[in-house]
Amino acid sequence: MAQPLVKKDDDRDDEADYHPFLGIEKGAVLQEARVFNDPQLDARRCSQVITKLLYLLNQGESFTKIEATEVFFAVTKLFQSRDIGLRRMVYLMIKELSPSADEVQIGTDISYIASNIKVIIVTSSLMKDMNSKTDMYRANAIRVLCRITDGTLLTQIERYLKQAIVDKNPVVASAALVSGIHLLQTNPEIVKRWSNEVQEAVQSRAALVQFHALALLHQIRQNDRLAVSKLVTSLTRGTVRSPLAQCLLIRYTSQVIRESGGNTQTGDRPFYDYLESCLRHKAEMVIFEAAKAITELSGVTNRELTPAITVLQLFLSSSKPVLRFAAVRTLNKVAMTHPMAVTNCNIDMESLISDPNRSIATLAITTLLKTGNESSVDRLMKQITNFMSDIADEFKIVVVEAIRSLCLKFPLKYRSLMNFLSNILREEGGFEYKKAIVDSIVILISDIPDAKESGLLHLCEFIEDCEFTYLSTQILHFLGIEGPKTSDPSKYIRYIYNRVHLENATVRASAVSTLAKFGALVDSLKPRIFILLRRCLFDSDDEVRDRATLYLNTLGGDGSVVETDNDVKDFLFGSLGVPLVNLETSLKNYEPSEEPFDISSVPKEIKSQPLAEKKAPGKKQPGLGSSPSGPGSTVDAYDKLLSSIPEFSNFGRLFKSSPPVELTEAETEYAVNVVKHIFDSHVVFQYNCTNTIPEQLLENVTVVVDASEAEDFSAVASKLLRSLPYDTPGQTFVAFEKPEGVPAVGKFSNMLRFIVKEVDTSTGEAEEDGVEDEYQLEDLEVVASDYMLKVPVSNFRNAWESMDPESEQVDEYGLGPRESLTEAVSAVINLLGMQPCEIDYYSGQDYRKGSEVVPNNSRSHTCLLSGVYIGNVKVLVRLSFGMDSSREVAMKLAVRSDDVSVSSAIHDIVASG
Amino acid sequence: MSLWEAFLNWLRSLFFKQEMELSLIGLQNAGKTSLVNVVATGGYSEDMIPTVGFNMKKVTKGNVTIKLWDLGGQPRFRSMWERYCRSVSAIVYVVDAADNDNLPVSRSELHDLLSKPSLSGIPLLVLGNKIDKPGALSKEALTEQM
Repeated sequence: MAQPLVKKDDDRDDEADYHPFLGIEKGAVLQEARVFNDPQLDARRCSQVITKLLYLLNQGESFTKIEATEVFFAVTKLFQSRDIGLRRMVYLMIKELSPSADEVQIGTDISYIASNIKVIIVTSSLMKDMNSKTDMYRANAIRVLCRITDGTLLTQIERYLKQAIVDKNPVVASAALVSGIHLLQTNPEIVKRWSNEVQEAVQSRAALVQFHALALLHQIRQNDRLAVSKLVTSLTRGTVRSPLAQCLLIRYTSQVIRESGGNTQTGDRPFYDYLESCLRHKAEMVIFEAAKAITELSGVTNRELTPAITVLQLFLSSSKPVLRFAAVRTLNKVAMTHPMAVTNCNIDMESLISDPNRSIATLAITTLLKTGNESSVDRLMKQITNFMSDIADEFKIVVVEAIRSLCLKFPLKYRSLMNFLSNILREEGGFEYKKAIVDSIVILISDIPDAKESGLLHLCEFIEDCEFTYLSTQILHFLGIEGPKTSDPSKYIRYIYNRVHLENATVRASAVSTLAKFGALVDSLKPRIFILLRRCLFDSDDEVRDRATLYLNTLGGDGSVVETDNDVKDFLFGSLGVPLVNLETSLKNYEPSEEPFDISSVPKEIKSQPLAEKKAPGKKQPGLGSSPSGPGSTVDAYDKLLSSIPEFSNFGRLFKSSPPVELTEAETEYAVNVVKHIFDSHVVFQYNCTNTIPEQLLENVTVVVDASEAEDFSAVASKLLRSLPYDTPGQTFVAFEKPEGVPAVGKFSNMLRFIVKEVDTSTGEAEEDGVEDEYQLEDLEVVASDYMLKVPVSNFRNAWESMDPESEQVDEYGLGPRESLTEAVSAVINLLGMQPCEIDYYSGQDYRKGSEVVPNNSRSHTCLLSGVYIGNVKVLVRLSFGMDSSREVAMKLAVRSDDVSVSSAIHDIVASG
Repeated sequence: MSLWEAFLNWLRSLFFKQEMELSLIGLQNAGKTSLVNVVATGGYSEDMIPTVGFNMKKVTKGNVTIKLWDLGGQPRFRSMWERYCRSVSAIVYVVDAADNDNLPVSRSELHDLLSKPSLSGIPLLVLGNKIDKPGALSKEALTEQM
């Protein structure tokens, strides 16, 4: 009966010799699996069937629970065979059919346990094989057993596993070590006991054993920095022979270097010599790993970098594609931070542009774009044009981004680069690719004034035939901002009005808005714009009609051509003055009612969640867990909380709430922190108190505040806390009056006063009588940054230029010697409490990086800040830092704001800080 | 024994070789694994660990080759007994005759097993083990109990 089946099988093999299993069906294979139950086993045939089953499983075929169970039990019967090949297949099959150990560990419900029982039936057989004389049995049985084992069983077989780790046979030892790596996830405490054996295995002569042993040893010790450091120190002295293990060691070494922080100033970096010596290793992978590690060292110097770059350069001309790829990829990364170091390799990389491997070619191009100088741009662009047509979109995006940063670096070259961008914009491409190009052109236009006119025309041409609504609306919006400022705004009107005829409703609506912007800003165009807008009143879409009506009415389109006054402009096209995210949440929370939605109720500050709420919920946070809000809008919640207290309800709108400031050490009897709420003419301190003593109940809790060092403040109200039971946070408040709108500062000393009552912990009842007591808290300061809201601006340059230059005040300050520029920058940001903005594009630094980030080892830096000062005064600050050889930091501070007095107030803050 | 006779024996064993498959089941600690060891090697060890899953032994005695499936007796394995009893030549059910407390459990497990349609027609041997122990049931009493 079995004969014809086999034959059929052979036939199929002949027909499709490229893949013997193509088109096999699960049902048929499951039928075939019945041979496992034959009294006389045909080992060869069984192996074949298992191979098919494994093939099916790996192709993503899923077996039902019943099918899997049937197969599993049938396979277990094959343990009777002594055929080594078949046994091997049996191991594989069991491993494939068993739920992984972690799954079983996590799932505690009955079905999981049931499936685990199923697997456990082979345990005994595997344990026998684990001690078999056949090495192959031992190795594979260990792997399977560790896969299916649980904690209790593991303790039983631990002894054998330890033996296996130091087994003479490398295959067995490796199997045990790899199993150890897996088991470390689920049973760390058991595996940690194997350290001695693993350490012995690290000294093994077999390359693979050494590799696996090192990996396991590191995993065992990974949480102990000192131990890892010791491990690296001892092994770098040269006992590691296996190249793979050497690569691992290099990684661990760079980890140790990273964590030790290194003192780059003195020049001798620990372990650098070791990394450098690895560059002369005979295995290519070790050389590469070492070179990569060196290039990734933080604050690497050119002297350290040179040997690594040299070996990478050799790899560039290797015959192996993988080496070329690895080298060019690493150089690409280096080029971002140390473009000069890579220039030596430029000639080699130029030859890689024609590399048959497109990934290598793309990386070579983008690296060249980063390292190239002004004179080589044109030559490069020529090469890229040929190359663009035959790479995929994702590579093209990389190239586009590289070109954008190149253009920002060499603004003089914008013509050829802009041409290139507009050419590729016309070619076929997906959304992401087109978006990258459009974004690049938009950035170039806003940063390079000369490029504006040609860039806008390129964009106009693009929207004439653009299939992406998103891009069309984005470009129309952009045209509305930039178009009216050009020398001849009228030439854009045709492109925009075409959209009203040809596009979908979304694009039509934004075209209407853009037209209106032209109308509002360019008086000479007004009559013509009004005619166009009136035509839009007959549009089929109501949003389009609504917009047209609104604009016609507000801009005075009822016939009389008048100059649109600034209020209207501001109303229609000005910024909302609130972050969009906050507006969105506020609108979502708004319930339709008689009361209209008030935009001034939208919080202006971007959400910066207090640290406490970022930590894992569920853990008790003594002293911090008192803010009644969820992780949502803290400001909203504070506002609600304060206005619900009658004493504070007439203070007006809450301007700002500070993050909690701890007034006690951690682990004290009473944990207290304070939140400073700033109002126009008041300040409210919210003391969040937590009682951490189970035997005590506190009553009538108040904070006695001494404001003798804060002359501008006078206490007006306080609200005591009736009762503070164990571990339940509560709040008490103290309010002060201060001169309106004045950023008064001062220092307050605090004393917690309360009545303490003993609590019987067994019954939870407090005694009748209490004792009055006091508890000294740390001092609290109201500082200038408390009056500053962190409000970001999207384009600092535009915002800066739109502010009155008259309000600008510039001065220079010496900040004294500092560790690094980073430290100086963050000190000033903290002092002012303002929002760091994205770097401006001109400075040639990396695009879209927060300006608070100081590149490694740089000697000068510009940082941009924005904020809203009390009284709703917008403030922008431009800080220029410089550091001289003696680490003295000097700073130039330029402030612009809506109110000159605020500009000088900012200077006062810095001067007194 | 002459060479000729040995040769004949060998021939005979070729022609009359017989294969048997037996399943050994019963509650834990009934003595199944020990029984297998006695049959296979003749040795007996006091110190045994519980069988987790099953052991497979092939024993050749004369012309007969017996495959022994020695299954674990702990409750978690009992549901799987049936799978290893299908299509065997005979089932050996081992009972600890000295373990009075567990006899009812043993009895009900056996009856459960026998009620499975897939096992109908397979010969069953109930083997009372440990009858030498004090307090062990007699053959008749055991038969009665089961």
